[in-house]
Amino acid sequence: MQSVLNRVFNKENFKILCTDYSFILSFVILLIVALIFNPKFLSYSSIATLLSNATITGIVACGMTLVIISGMIDLSVGSIVSLSAGLGVLLLNQTNDVLLTLAFCIVFGALLGAINGVLVSYVGIAAFITTLATMSAYRSIITQIGQGGPFTVNKEILRSFSSVATGKLFGVIPYLPLFLIGVVLLIGFLLGRTKFGRYVYATGSNEHATILAGIKTKNVKLFIFIIIGALCGLSAFLLASRMSSVTASNAGFGYELDAIAAVAIGGTSMSGGRGRIAGTFLGALMMQMISVILIAAQIDPFLNGLVKGIIIIFAVAFQSSNRRNV
Amino acid sequence: MRLGRPDVLFGLPNPDEYCRWGDCRMYLEMKNITMVFGSNKAVDNVSFSLKKGEIHGLMGENGAGKSTLMNILGGVYRPTSGQVFLNGEDITNIDEKKASAAGIRFIHQELNLVNDLKVYENLFLGEEIVNRFGITNRKLMRQRAAEVLEVVNMGDISPNTPLSKLDTLHKQLIEIAKSLLFEARVIIMDEPTTALSDHEIKNLFTIMRQLKAKGVSMIYISHKMPELFEICDSFTVLRDGKIVGNGYFHEIDEEKATTMLVGQHVNDKLDKKQRKSDVLLEAKNLSCDHYFKDVSFELRKGEVLVFTGLQGDGRRELAEALFGARKLTSGHVLLEDKPVKYHSIKSVIRSGISMVQRNRKERSIIKNMNVLDNLTIAQFAYSNKNFVVKKNDQLRVFHDCKRLLDVKASSPRMEITSLSGGNQQKVIISRWLELKSKVYIFDNPTQGVDVGAKFEIYKLINKLAEEGVSIIVFSQEYPEIEKIGDRCIVMYNGKISKVFDREEFNEKEMMYYSTGSDKKAV
Repeated sequence: MQSVLNRVFNKENFKILCTDYSFILSFVILLIVALIFNPKFLSYSSIATLLSNATITGIVACGMTLVIISGMIDLSVGSIVSLSAGLGVLLLNQTNDVLLTLAFCIVFGALLGAINGVLVSYVGIAAFITTLATMSAYRSIITQIGQGGPFTVNKEILRSFSSVATGKLFGVIPYLPLFLIGVVLLIGFLLGRTKFGRYVYATGSNEHATILAGIKTKNVKLFIFIIIGALCGLSAFLLASRMSSVTASNAGFGYELDAIAAVAIGGTSMSGGRGRIAGTFLGALMMQMISVILIAAQIDPFLNGLVKGIIIIFAVAFQSSNRRNV
Repeated sequence: MRLGRPDVLFGLPNPDEYCRWGDCRMYLEMKNITMVFGSNKAVDNVSFSLKKGEIHGLMGENGAGKSTLMNILGGVYRPTSGQVFLNGEDITNIDEKKASAAGIRFIHQELNLVNDLKVYENLFLGEEIVNRFGITNRKLMRQRAAEVLEVVNMGDISPNTPLSKLDTLHKQLIEIAKSLLFEARVIIMDEPTTALSDHEIKNLFTIMRQLKAKGVSMIYISHKMPELFEICDSFTVLRDGKIVGNGYFHEIDEEKATTMLVGQHVNDKLDKKQRKSDVLLEAKNLSCDHYFKDVSFELRKGEVLVFTGLQGDGRRELAEALFGARKLTSGHVLLEDKPVKYHSIKSVIRSGISMVQRNRKERSIIKNMNVLDNLTIAQFAYSNKNFVVKKNDQLRVFHDCKRLLDVKASSPRMEITSLSGGNQQKVIISRWLELKSKVYIFDNPTQGVDVGAKFEIYKLINKLAEEGVSIIVFSQEYPEIEKIGDRCIVMYNGKISKVFDREEFNEKEMMYYSTGSDKKAV
């Protein structure tokens, strides 16, 4: 027993815990804080709520993980969510077909992502600038279509549509977290088990060497943008279902920040080449836990952003100070 | 051993002793300079002097100690022992800033200019004329820039021109102008002609002669014999940190200079089986911008063909172009009589050409990935099968690689950067061996690799050749060429200057051709 403990809790493993798996450390710390403020934090219902709340931005964060590992950034996610959700609601009201709407949102999101991807890979504009521009462009399109007003789901389809986001499997397990877990597993599989995943890491780590190994990194980047676009589409569908009404100027607002923050506190290197989807998953939960703690601690909700900002800076500074020592 | 000079011993100037070559006092003197890095003597008891208005050619192979010596002169390093005098003043222990203030200006091969700034801003970069509030006096700077541009025959160029609008010669001249602006007394030029055309070189030499007439001394570092003989008065040849020859250029010829450069290496050719086999790859009239022109060669099955030459000969670019990493402007390559498809690197790999890149850290190693992924990444790109990575296939490759090249990696999950340089290189070579290509290109394969690993890499290259794989090696280490080469092509200025068969291998002659000594002066 003693030797097993020694093997597990040695210096080497502690170092790994502090660098590659630091997100676990931060998660445990936050969990303890949450339990101090709310002893019932680990009850089934509060876990289910936490997961449900984390789903819509969490799905976007999964896509953002790919983008950041490959050394890029996507600022347009919120606008893709808003544009896909708005048009999705219009289509739903026309056709009363929930599945068609789901398919539309995903495909349309992927298309918007592909525009980003083509601009980055084949026109050669930096991802930061490209997505900054499309962030503004996509948002503007949907605001114009809705003339500033909301897109509201028709009464006759509302029940079956909103049951997607608010319903429960066997009346116990809410649907929403299942979407998140599904996406986490899918992206985890892509990153960990497929060639494509290797290309993503390789592109972010040393793009020049990757090109010289015969990999078309331009295509890799294009696919990454298509994937994050599709995930934004899924996220848009769930958002519309949950809210039953989408405001063009407001929907998906600030998602880029939430997604990047989840990825960052999830331990993914902001300079690319390193990162894990498990980290992003816990990162997305942590973002929600912070909100819960702030409410429990009766801190003014207007200060939410401040606290999140400070936590992100601490998490990333901690990682980089450790990595420098390696 | 040289005896201490009377003036050093007694503190008295002795004109006769000073004037080994002429009638006047030496302007710059470096006396008995030794520089030790760790256990390695980079410069060993070198004395070197320069008269006012003299152009001195400094020659030596890579690693001979030229740059260390010049860095000591420029104040970058402090010598372990020895002294430096400029115009009789001891400047041994001054730093970089003071050295340039004293008038010693170093023009590096890679120019230290900022493309996005204007000409006058570049001229005054870091040494802007400011008033006491720290605000730049642009009018005065422009005026002085115009004056100095006149001196280097660039009077027609406005100081306000963006630097990016100038060609390489003019950028080179801007560097010279910059040194003149701050009253350079000794200008060190490190291979200034690498990027220049023949015509531009002529113009540069004209300016250099004008400066010489004004009493500016210059140290000209180059490999190119015709240029050295044309522009320089005197020379020093360094080898392994020691002076192996000095004197005046009019006293020697190019062959003598080459002998000094190379010295007498022990002849240690490995025995290699020589066979005549069929031509596998044929390159016809390959050209790429100004890097190389009309390069044609044949590569036989099981042959090791070495390309050698000196920096700036276009070899690097040729290597890249053969692998599809650089676009050819004309010419084509036939592999087994079929043209190699050059639309992407992947298509070249599929045609049967693999390449182990130079500069491993930048061009091969994917630093955040483990040994296993670094090993198999090219194979992923090569085959379209299997979207999902099969761990067992990867592990098989790892064990193959361990067996073949004795890679010392305790676990396939180790980070690649935790391996030694030699082992990293073995992993990278194995990455390509797995593809079983017909042609392997090795660009500087033993760069940053220890002696033991070097030997293993040579053995591997010879073994591959025996198995019928054709190999092209780009190398500039003669002992390496001797150990592996069947044939050797020497390049100079982007062209093939001579082809040697194994029986004719001779370091001196190769150096002779790679310095362009057979060419007439520009």
